[in-house]
Amino acid sequence: MIRKEAIEILLKVISKEPIVSANGFISRDLFNIYDKTTNFYMIGSMGLTSSIGLGIALKKPKKRIFVFDGDGNILMNLGSLTTIGKIGPKNLVHVVFDNSIHESTGGQPTGSDVISIDRIAKACNYSQVFKTSTKNGILKILNKIGKNSGPILILIKIKKGNSIGKRISTTPKKIKEDFMKDL
Amino acid sequence: MFDYLYKIGIKNFIGVPDSTFKHFIEQGIRKDKILITTREEEAIGIAAGMLLTENPSLVFMQNAGFANSLSTITSLIQLYNFPLILLIGWRGLLKNDAPEHKKIGKIQPKLLKSLGLESRILNDSNWKQLCNWAVKMSKRDKSCALVLPRKFLD
Repeated sequence: MIRKEAIEILLKVISKEPIVSANGFISRDLFNIYDKTTNFYMIGSMGLTSSIGLGIALKKPKKRIFVFDGDGNILMNLGSLTTIGKIGPKNLVHVVFDNSIHESTGGQPTGSDVISIDRIAKACNYSQVFKTSTKNGILKILNKIGKNSGPILILIKIKKGNSIGKRISTTPKKIKEDFMKDL
Repeated sequence: MFDYLYKIGIKNFIGVPDSTFKHFIEQGIRKDKILITTREEEAIGIAAGMLLTENPSLVFMQNAGFANSLSTITSLIQLYNFPLILLIGWRGLLKNDAPEHKKIGKIQPKLLKSLGLESRILNDSNWKQLCNWAVKMSKRDKSCALVLPRKFLD
């Protein structure tokens, strides 16, 4: 399964719920598959997707907030896992697409093939942690998790993609304004 | 100063502790209104998330941590135009301050200027007025920084 396929499956269930997506190919894929105003595409500031998601989740406790993270991104801000685990927002679903490489910079290894991001999340006090590498697995997990049982981490092992999606054409200011309006 | 900022509308205080404003942080912890993060960039990310929900937010840090955050300020706060207030403890001013603070403390004003981030320096008589200024800036959708020089040694 490549990231695009994983995102397509996730979006079938997530649909209009808010998503904060990491810079690089994750945001590009999301933009090309299902662009909507409740997607916050983080263009720069690598590593901070889960922090932005945490800020939103804490202030909107009645809404389920999804974070689309990457292995390279979360390894840059592992402290975020400890902060999320410490506070324990019930409405946060943290999805990590893990291909063990920095795909958008040329495929350099991240090392996530030898370390266990899922076990780190567990040790950081996430209430539920899942790992899968199949489409069926993703659907099963999404059906299992409730609306309010987080923080949840879903580690999705993916293969390197074979095509590059178009860049996001919406301006950062417009991404923010649309998101704020429709959140 | 914590109580005053809270009173005039800032409800979220996120950051990494600095001894320069330890009493400020103590008061925030007492009131359960402070979130301590592992790094300054992380604090800025959380504050950006809170600002996306229209909750006025302040991030506090030491000037060394401010230097950590330069790229986050340009590629998140300034790129998306988040009206964030930064509170920065400024070390490296006193002659006998610890050696690790000297170089970074010296270039602190230049760093702010390079970023084009509007800032004011706090003192005993202007702090209330500058808190009002910062809140006004955030209401006008502008980010800004309040800088607190450390004038004591421990």
